[in-house]
Amino acid sequence: MAGQTDPHISLFSPQEIEFMAEDELVEIVPNMNMEQLNFISGDFGRFIPQIPTKVPLWLAVALKRRGKCTFRPPGWMSVDNLTQILEAERESQSTFQALPFSYVEIARLLIDHARDDIPDMFMVRSLVEDIRDVRLHKLETNLGSFQGTSAVKISNVSAMEVNIVRPFVRRALEAFYKHDKPEADVDRDTRSSRQQREANNEPRRPLRQR
Amino acid sequence: MAKYYDIDDILVEEEFVPVLFHKTANGVTIDPSAETNCAEQGAKVEVPFWLAHELHMRQAVSINLPACFDQKTRLEVQADAAYVDLRSRCSYFYEFGCKLEPLVTDRTLGILLSTAFKIRYKEALTKVYTAAHITASKYLSFLTKEETNLYEAAHLSMTAFRKWRAGGPRLERALILGRKRKDSN
Repeated sequence: MAGQTDPHISLFSPQEIEFMAEDELVEIVPNMNMEQLNFISGDFGRFIPQIPTKVPLWLAVALKRRGKCTFRPPGWMSVDNLTQILEAERESQSTFQALPFSYVEIARLLIDHARDDIPDMFMVRSLVEDIRDVRLHKLETNLGSFQGTSAVKISNVSAMEVNIVRPFVRRALEAFYKHDKPEADVDRDTRSSRQQREANNEPRRPLRQR
Repeated sequence: MAKYYDIDDILVEEEFVPVLFHKTANGVTIDPSAETNCAEQGAKVEVPFWLAHELHMRQAVSINLPACFDQKTRLEVQADAAYVDLRSRCSYFYEFGCKLEPLVTDRTLGILLSTAFKIRYKEALTKVYTAAHITASKYLSFLTKEETNLYEAAHLSMTAFRKWRAGGPRLERALILGRKRKDSN
């Protein structure tokens, strides 16, 4: 039943989503010498000045804060690419463009911590925000077209976007499922007795299906 | 029995339904218009759903549609389902309807529920992600319990996202750290 008392079932908070996105690898250019780092998730380094290397985003942010490296912004974060994506997002109403699964979080972390490493930072920022708004709006429009329970397939939706609509969609689908079921079994007539039918002879008017 | 501890489920079953007695029931005071302590055959009484359900299973009564599913409501739902005040009619409109549906002879009840929900779902969707919370407050008072939960869930996730986007302290102090240690002696 979709009538739970507790509506607080958004599975992740935005902060948690951001935390998970910090495991994504980014390219940095260190300016210090350091031995290889051995983590559970893998080995990173060794760090030699001016030799680019790939590290998790959280490590990159930590190094950047100490002034030990500069970022190499990922390829999709260029103004050209983002402009193209924005155009494509605006053009088609039903499909989403392929972007990294956690593009919202990565963009925000890079813009917060490495603004001097991103060429045209303000342009990039406003483009990412535009793309995000267009996609969110599109997602909402798509949700509005639900007609009862069927498999819902929307590809290329990012982590943050999924997380925003998750609680709503989950409940709505549950409710749709609940209301769709009774229409399926029509032969319940046989169960109700003759007497009951006479007792309830109010005019029946089928509702118009929209 | 699966929802034995579900408070909403219990409250749904407390809703009153009009029933028609087919058998005389002795020694009960559920019929306020009866002179003696019994419900006559053919008496029309309003009883809570849980009682009506049990009596119905024993073929003692037949269940009629309660007022919240009457013709007037149906016409209003047909006209503009999104702005029908369902909460004042029955705050568990859908759950109650679903429970009632197999027990009454009216076949259109299921369609009424699903049509109403589909239209109202769309309205809630546009409201929750676009309109400001304050302007939606009037609309909120029309929602049933289930719809309110739906709206709240969406609203919470949206505000959490906006808060995150606006930025703020990344690390929060765990609640337990703020407390002073109590003297156990």
